[in-house]
Amino acid sequence: MFTESYMLRALVASVLLGPVCGLLGVFVTARRLAFFSDTVAHSALAGVAIGLWLGASDPTPAMLVVSIGVASLLLWLRQRTDLLTDTILALLLSTSVALGVVIFSQLKGYRGEIERYLFGDILSVSPKDILIAAFISLGVTGLILFWFNALTLITAHEDLAHVSGLPVRWINLGFILALTLVVTLAIRLVGIILVTSLLVVPAATARNVSRNLRQQTIIAWLLGLGSALGGVAASYSFNLPCGPTIVLVCAALFVGSLGFQTVRRHLGQTPA
Amino acid sequence: MTHPPALEVQQVHVTLGGTPVLRGVTLSVPRGELVALIGPNGSGKTTLLRAILGLQSIDSGQIRIFGAPVSVSSLSRVGYVPQKLELDRGFGLSVREFLALSLPETRHWLWQSHRKIDLALASSLDGLGVMPLLNRPVSRLSGGQLQRVLIAWSLLRKPELLLLDEPTAGVDTPGERSFYEMIESVHRRHKMTIILVSHDLSMVFRHAHWVFALNGVVCCQGTPEDIVRNDSLKQAYGLHLTPYHHHHTGEISHVH
Repeated sequence: MFTESYMLRALVASVLLGPVCGLLGVFVTARRLAFFSDTVAHSALAGVAIGLWLGASDPTPAMLVVSIGVASLLLWLRQRTDLLTDTILALLLSTSVALGVVIFSQLKGYRGEIERYLFGDILSVSPKDILIAAFISLGVTGLILFWFNALTLITAHEDLAHVSGLPVRWINLGFILALTLVVTLAIRLVGIILVTSLLVVPAATARNVSRNLRQQTIIAWLLGLGSALGGVAASYSFNLPCGPTIVLVCAALFVGSLGFQTVRRHLGQTPA
Repeated sequence: MTHPPALEVQQVHVTLGGTPVLRGVTLSVPRGELVALIGPNGSGKTTLLRAILGLQSIDSGQIRIFGAPVSVSSLSRVGYVPQKLELDRGFGLSVREFLALSLPETRHWLWQSHRKIDLALASSLDGLGVMPLLNRPVSRLSGGQLQRVLIAWSLLRKPELLLLDEPTAGVDTPGERSFYEMIESVHRRHKMTIILVSHDLSMVFRHAHWVFALNGVVCCQGTPEDIVRNDSLKQAYGLHLTPYHHHHTGEISHVH
């Protein structure tokens, strides 16, 4: 399968994006940001539609701009209104999907594009996409490792982090920006509808089998890598759609981790 | 030259959502004292605590920590012990990892061996009873255990002023007693200034040397014996307060 260049690019993209999703997922699950990721991912549909409407051959820049815009709007609305975060997320998610679908309906010859973005199309990844993915995934991995202690403390208690002298607001903004970039890029891998599972499921699986945060982080990183690689390989071997196959591999590993957890509990090895 | 007090609050006003919460709070905490800041729910304790920690802006007035305005630099001399952490039960952070976040020599804990981290922690945490908890996830500790771990976390940073926010909320009575004994021991050994913020009067009265009662303003202050006889405190709490005999200092007060 490595003799086909599109397949090689698909594997490289999965190696680049799977692990960084696992790593980010550790904090996404702990900070209850799954719905946020989902909203950012869905807003990318409006980005794609606007990009194509403006005549861009590659809508990725438009996707990034709209996703970052929606993430910023969310933070602004959360600060300026008394609305609950859930309400703001639902508002932004449905509005951006509706906007995307309406613009798509006015474009001629792009109907098939919606499905590509909804469920992912890793096999159409171009060398340029690989370069962007390499740049962003390495940058975000470096940022998360550099801020690992700060993010852990902010997750544990924001006020405690502030009193300890951490620039909490900037770190939170940086994290949200990093998350937005990775989610938008990972849409190519698994699609808008399934991208949140690539962030959440490896991290949730790691929780079931780890005893501390170090283990949880390393296992989530490895599971992100394994699920993405395994999913691409399985989709090639069995001629299945790539994004959903990656997610099914994630889900199968999660079910396996539940079994592992049950066995360990019976053996009395789980910390109280 | 005399040293400035550990904490000085002068005429601090804070309004939240149009309601004046702090209406000219003034108090001064000398260095090395163990004091309590008490008040019923809604009296402004949390708002004052947040203002001292730089988490809440003030409308007017002044707060000084060891003579300096509230800033990253002055807060580096302050240890803060919150009531609880915001972690869900599945977050794997162990006590060892949490404490390692606090020490410069273990800041690379993600790559360091447990033995190296434990050696660094053990030298600073003698007598706090947290070493047996190192492998436990922080999110699954009992209220009393978590408070010990949070105090240990603060002490690793060698603060000169320790602020504890409702430290025994959710801790059972025996746990409460041993917790306050630990606070007294920390106070004696480290000779630091400690401020307990609480609405739980009985335990605070047994252990604090000086008490500030807050109800929008500092309505009274003094030794626990003075405070318990003060009418404004009785009004604020709507409680019946009677004196009782304390095993350390002779007469002190108890709350019914």
